[in-house]
Amino acid sequence: MIVPLLDLVRTRTVLFDGAMGTELMARGLGPGVPPELWNAEKPDAVREVHAAYFEAGSDVVSTNSFGGTPLKLAAHGLEGRAFELNLAAARLARAAAPAGRYVAGSMGPTGKFLKPQGPATEADLVAAYAEQARGLAEGGVDIFLIETQYDLREALAAVRGVRGVSPIPVFVTLTFNSFPRGYFTLMGDPAARSAADLEKAGAAAVGANCTLSPEQMVGCVRALRTATSLPVIAQANAGQPVVGADGTIGYSQTLEDYVRFVPELVKAGAGFVGGCCGTNPATIRAMARIIRPKEKP
Amino acid sequence: MTKNEIYPKMSEAIVAGDRDAARALAGEAIRAGLDLLEVIEQGYVPGIQKVGDLWERGDYFLPELISSAEAMKAAMAVLDPEFNRKGLGARMGGKVVIGTVEGDIHDIGKNLVASMLQAGGFEVFDLGADVKLERFIEKAEAVGAGIICLSALLTTTMMNQRRLIALLRDRGLRDKYKVLVGGAPASRKWAEEIGADGYAENAVAAVKLAKSLAGRP
Repeated sequence: MIVPLLDLVRTRTVLFDGAMGTELMARGLGPGVPPELWNAEKPDAVREVHAAYFEAGSDVVSTNSFGGTPLKLAAHGLEGRAFELNLAAARLARAAAPAGRYVAGSMGPTGKFLKPQGPATEADLVAAYAEQARGLAEGGVDIFLIETQYDLREALAAVRGVRGVSPIPVFVTLTFNSFPRGYFTLMGDPAARSAADLEKAGAAAVGANCTLSPEQMVGCVRALRTATSLPVIAQANAGQPVVGADGTIGYSQTLEDYVRFVPELVKAGAGFVGGCCGTNPATIRAMARIIRPKEKP
Repeated sequence: MTKNEIYPKMSEAIVAGDRDAARALAGEAIRAGLDLLEVIEQGYVPGIQKVGDLWERGDYFLPELISSAEAMKAAMAVLDPEFNRKGLGARMGGKVVIGTVEGDIHDIGKNLVASMLQAGGFEVFDLGADVKLERFIEKAEAVGAGIICLSALLTTTMMNQRRLIALLRDRGLRDKYKVLVGGAPASRKWAEEIGADGYAENAVAAVKLAKSLAGRP
């Protein structure tokens, strides 16, 4: 029998994957094309990225559905295909997963602000995440990963939306900025309170991704750790994109510089680690060697 | 109320994001026959500068920034018709054309920069998101803008910031405009590399940069 992910994390550090968008760009995804569309139109490319991450040592990969809420897809006139594209996203990751590995259903922000800053109501957001969750659940995800959230209120609405349609565990990451006073979302939600509120709302794991470098992420994990008994997730960025003379895009932080903070992240209390912008299968392979030194790659 | 009494109140209204107070104080300034340019520069603008400082320190976040920009907008909505009546321009900053480049639908940051520029005294022409590069130039030419601001949130679409600059060069218009770039993947280094006139990390920094390029304090 396969060990549930939440049991596995009690026994060892669990490795997520790295960036998806830049991997698809390297396979020809052009500007203006929503990556989710490739779940239907270029399924082989998406499956190939998942396979590369599993091969590099990921225990869990995230589906190609970051912008897959109907509210986000509406910008491309694809809101009517939300269920189908999320279902396909989950099936592709599932198909790439070796036995005993896991699939997380990625759910990024809707891009709509809640009132009074924007036009959205909480009911709008609950409905949008519920629709996405239906497709991902049908496609066989092991957990939901509500990620890169910059507003705690939206994250809480997302948890409600998902829990309304599926009993599958919900993981949540927010994206925090580092200030002298601590770690805060764009909307000013402090890290510790966010973790506590998400735990109360029924999240199964909480954490931080994007924006922060691995070094800053260590401090953020400590702040989250003080406020929750749930497993903590950490997925840091690898610096800023830099454009080479030939037009190819790289990231400013070197691999060595990125992964050297992994032991500190684990020591600070992160049970789940992985990459975000600027990371790729090579990053994950290097992280796997640090986390599971005894295994053969 | 004298100037010394009313100016601090204007600043406080902006810092508190109090739209009603900002609007009422503007009306009072008109009735008292105050110099309205001075009202903006010494009453309201110090408020928006304070808000910028609070944001940079991490004491204010996006909701506070938006409320303050809205309060500024409310005050300007009262003052603008007075300037028009007298045939004067209240927008001493000049004209800015702003948008998110084609292929990119992200507009949160761009909207914030547009509001803050407006609050900072610029006349802002916001073209929205996924804007064809041609449109930036057409609009800037049509309204006589001095600054073009380009937002891009994706590593794929940031290339369009470079393309716009090439397009301006091809048309012999490069020196006519200051081009500012922003967005998550952009950086100072990127701006230098593509020959832009500047990069700002956030909305508050964008206003400072635009002001310095426009030769304002």
